[in-house]
Amino acid sequence: MAHSIDRRTVLGALGLAAFPMPALSQGASAKTLRFVPQSNLANFDPIWGTQYVVRNAAALVWDTLYGVDETLTPQRQMVESEEVSSDGLTWTFKLREGLKFHDNTPVLAKDVVQSLKRWAARDPMGLMITAIQKELAPIDDRSWKWVLSRPFPKMLLALAKNNAPCSFIMPERIAQTDPFKQVTEYIGSGPMRFVREDWVPGAKAVFTRFEGYVPRQEKASWLAGGKNMLLDRIEWVIMPDPATASAALQNGEVDWWENPISDLVPLLKRNRNIAVDIADPLGNIGSFRMNHLHPPFDNVKIRRAVLTALNQEDYMRALVGSDDALWKPLPGFFTPGTPIYTEAGGEVLKQRNIAAAKKLLAEAGYKGEPVICVVAQDQPITKSQGDITADLLKQMGMNVDFVATDWGTTGQRRAVKTPPAQGGWNMFHTWHAGADCINPSSYTAVRANGDKAWFGWPDLPEVEKGVSDWFEAKDLAGEKAAMDRLNTAALEGVVYAPTGFFLSYQAWRKNVSGIVKGPLPFFWGVSKTA
Amino acid sequence: MSAAVVPSPAALSREPAAAPAMPDILPEVRRRGGLWGAALRHPTISMGAVLLLLMLFVAVFAPFLGTVDPTALAPARRTRPPGEQFWFGSDMLGRDIYSRVLYGARVSLVVGFAVALLSSAIGLAIGLVSGYVRLLDGIVMRVMDGLMSIPPILLAVALMALTRGSVGNVILAITIAEIPRVSRLVRGVVLSLREQPYVDGAVAAGTRTPMIIWRHILPNTLAPLTVQATYICASAMITEAILSFIGAGTPPTIPSWGNIMAEGRALWQVKPYIVFFPAVFLSITVLAVNLLGDGLRDALDPRMAKRL
Amino acid sequence: MLRYIGQRVLATVPVMAIVALFVFSLLYIAPGDPAAIIAGDQATPDDIARIRESLGLERPFLVRFGEWSWQILNGDLGTSIFTSLPVTALIAQRIEPTLSLMLVTLVLAITVAVPLGVLAAWKAGTWIDRLVMAFAVFGFSVPVFVVAYLLAYVFALELDWLPVQGYTPIANGIWPWLQHLILPSVALGLVYIALIARITRATMLEILSQDYIKTARAKGLGQRAILFLHALKNAAVPIVTVIGIGIALLIGGAVVTESVFVIPGLGRLTIDAILRRDYPVIQGIVLLFSFTYVLVNLGVDLVYTLVDPRIRY
Repeated sequence: MAHSIDRRTVLGALGLAAFPMPALSQGASAKTLRFVPQSNLANFDPIWGTQYVVRNAAALVWDTLYGVDETLTPQRQMVESEEVSSDGLTWTFKLREGLKFHDNTPVLAKDVVQSLKRWAARDPMGLMITAIQKELAPIDDRSWKWVLSRPFPKMLLALAKNNAPCSFIMPERIAQTDPFKQVTEYIGSGPMRFVREDWVPGAKAVFTRFEGYVPRQEKASWLAGGKNMLLDRIEWVIMPDPATASAALQNGEVDWWENPISDLVPLLKRNRNIAVDIADPLGNIGSFRMNHLHPPFDNVKIRRAVLTALNQEDYMRALVGSDDALWKPLPGFFTPGTPIYTEAGGEVLKQRNIAAAKKLLAEAGYKGEPVICVVAQDQPITKSQGDITADLLKQMGMNVDFVATDWGTTGQRRAVKTPPAQGGWNMFHTWHAGADCINPSSYTAVRANGDKAWFGWPDLPEVEKGVSDWFEAKDLAGEKAAMDRLNTAALEGVVYAPTGFFLSYQAWRKNVSGIVKGPLPFFWGVSKTA
Repeated sequence: MSAAVVPSPAALSREPAAAPAMPDILPEVRRRGGLWGAALRHPTISMGAVLLLLMLFVAVFAPFLGTVDPTALAPARRTRPPGEQFWFGSDMLGRDIYSRVLYGARVSLVVGFAVALLSSAIGLAIGLVSGYVRLLDGIVMRVMDGLMSIPPILLAVALMALTRGSVGNVILAITIAEIPRVSRLVRGVVLSLREQPYVDGAVAAGTRTPMIIWRHILPNTLAPLTVQATYICASAMITEAILSFIGAGTPPTIPSWGNIMAEGRALWQVKPYIVFFPAVFLSITVLAVNLLGDGLRDALDPRMAKRL
Repeated sequence: MLRYIGQRVLATVPVMAIVALFVFSLLYIAPGDPAAIIAGDQATPDDIARIRESLGLERPFLVRFGEWSWQILNGDLGTSIFTSLPVTALIAQRIEPTLSLMLVTLVLAITVAVPLGVLAAWKAGTWIDRLVMAFAVFGFSVPVFVVAYLLAYVFALELDWLPVQGYTPIANGIWPWLQHLILPSVALGLVYIALIARITRATMLEILSQDYIKTARAKGLGQRAILFLHALKNAAVPIVTVIGIGIALLIGGAVVTESVFVIPGLGRLTIDAILRRDYPVIQGIVLLFSFTYVLVNLGVDLVYTLVDPRIRY
């Protein structure tokens, strides 16, 4: 309706004349992008809190030493050069020239060293490095060294990876904060500043361009290359209601929506002002996580029975809707389409067989013990998986005790090791970003080292053997062989039951260009016309 | 808004917070021609009752009304529009909305009636004690004030976290929120009745307190309480839907109008029927209960009835 | 009068203490772990335990309650676990949108409902009365989110008269502010319209049967004059009553309205905080609610005495 838009513009302009700095008029600017993120940015310390949304926002504000490109290869980012001694024990790094923090102080080696220390205390790979670390210290203002007692061939991957926590570089005094406490100052090293005054947790976060940022010369590719900002201001608008987000995008009130639900996508596609594409080609893996400590799932036969009965298509349809382009069966644990992906040992997941599952249950001597399913209702992904699981276990003839709760409670209850009847649990649902499941390095959920393992505490030495084989593998063939063994062992012992591999869409107004597919939204190179 | 916000109009007009008890609740109830007579003289009662009975019928006989298992999943046949196979369409997991809506009537009615009964009973007890025992009055009313100032939604979510999402918890959460209003209403009635000559007379004659309450006070509270209870019932059903909306309602394994709507709401623009049918059923039921309440109010309160 | 106000204000202290203790114990026994949410899904149990420890969540109930009470007495509501921002700052950010929403809702509800109620009372027993009352009953019977979606669809998406969502501070101009509040207020206000219309009608009916009105009529004052004079005066009672009971209850509707229309108000802050177990925020908000509730009810009682001279304290 042309006339009403005109009227709105006129009124907007009047508002502009009457009052200084109206936020509404900024919304109309071509240099301001309004983005609807996947969830609320409730805290902003990417080392302390490792939710994906925090990592995504942090990638705008802080830079990293290395970054992975779209082939997941580590590339230099803040680093100008590195050198590793022939024995692989001493790493020497040198920073690029002219790097500045947002308070306009230069980035120095001591800042880097302190940031790495804080990161390493919280990151799975960082902890592995710390375990073999002899020295981490600055040499001069721009260079530092990292001395190890054993070679660590995946050093650059550790510093470049996109899995949370990323090794973001902060000023030394801020990085001195206890890694288990939250920083309260957000002095970044990346292309955008975080505008703390405009931050309304649960509703809005604002980023403005940092003039002092020195991008690399190479073309941008994911976390690598020149992070050239074509926008002056990015506003994150948190919209808890997907119906509203969809309406706002259709009405042009926002420019880019990170995770439209798939059932609304046909509607968005019909709108000639809106473009829709896959968001993250690495997708997500759904998880049916069992507690290996207590009956009935302490019995491997019963865990196998679940794998046998489970139909990934049911789970995936519940998750992604009717769009077949959005999901794939996943007879394994690793992200499809990545170099060391394997389906070894995956036959059990390729065909559902309720009768065989019931037979396994009987053989295992299942006596109708209740299965406590803890299902978070406030997360769409866990909620829809839970609906399918309740039905599945019922069909198998298991005694389901369905605990509908919220994510906060699930997070606490799953950490309880006592028997289910005493406040413990038998199964819960979650999902893993495909980017975390490319190899075992950052994939805590596939580990099976008993007490030290992720919730459910699987204890399967064969799986752990596969993991260490991968870390020690010298070449791709070696890695692949290790992964085949790992995948087979993990399916035989059922570390957890994968419910499938799924993708999601992103949608944006067509006056925005430069949006790419990736494991997180990349804002560099994105521009907008009025 | 919520249920919550649907604050029993009866309570409102009669019991402005902490204002002196309004005198118009005093007249003694006289049943002229009994309930049937009342129903005939007040068409709203019959209309409300008929609609409500219809819903009760649907709830009780849901299994025989052409329904299938309301929890049976068929993800391959999801979001089908209304038609031969699915009369009201199918939802995101391929469940039959018609069956879910019919079975859902059970949850809504149980929640509505249970909350109305429980909060009336407890509120009555508290109100009587508070109105009669001066010593406790101050403390009890402060506690009620405190309870009233906690948003019911917060209570419901906390209770869900405490144990789990269940129909019982939904009932409990809404009941706790309604008790203070009922007890204030009852207390108001008791306070004003205490001053009445015939109560004074009974006290002077040495009648024991429980007997006074039983003979003189209780009968007079029943009329306003019944009216109040119907409004509570209506608002409880709406609150159930709102709790589902924020994910603190009944568990997904039990179909309720609230959780059918909550699950379908993201798709309202593309699959409006998922929200439409439960919304219509909920509205009709709440409407029926409200009509019944209005009718009862007119019938039981002669002063109001006179004017209509 | 002053003495009465003084007493009432003093009486708020025990109420607040009860609420504080109740909510604190409820939160204490409720499961749910903010540390697990903060740590993210890949975190190990060890990490989560460390975070919990650093947040001080492992300490016993009495220690935590004591500390928190001491803070409150010093005028400090504490710091949010998630954002590490002061709770007072978080609440302050959210007050304007919620107040605006309530204000516009109330104004809208009153301007629509009072004339409706007066009309219904004036034409009592006719089809106009029945129509108004039917609308009033209907207003109670539809869940707010259903109304909200319908309004957004018709007036924002199809007609493009108003924005779908969002909030603009009043400092950016009256119209941009109002524009964003119209749809949410209508959605939220429907129940209030129904409610106030009913109460106004009931009050008017009662007044019309009073002796002094009969006298006025006998003196030959026109029906309209009587209605308008008394309507204006009597409108005050239902209005203040609704405000009085609405504070805690309104949050229920506001949560939904704020979510659907993406208004950054207190309702959403409350739900976010509960779902994430951001204890200091929940406690702060509940205290704020109960304080406002008690205060508003005091105000309401005082207004009664002004409106209705028969009430004395």
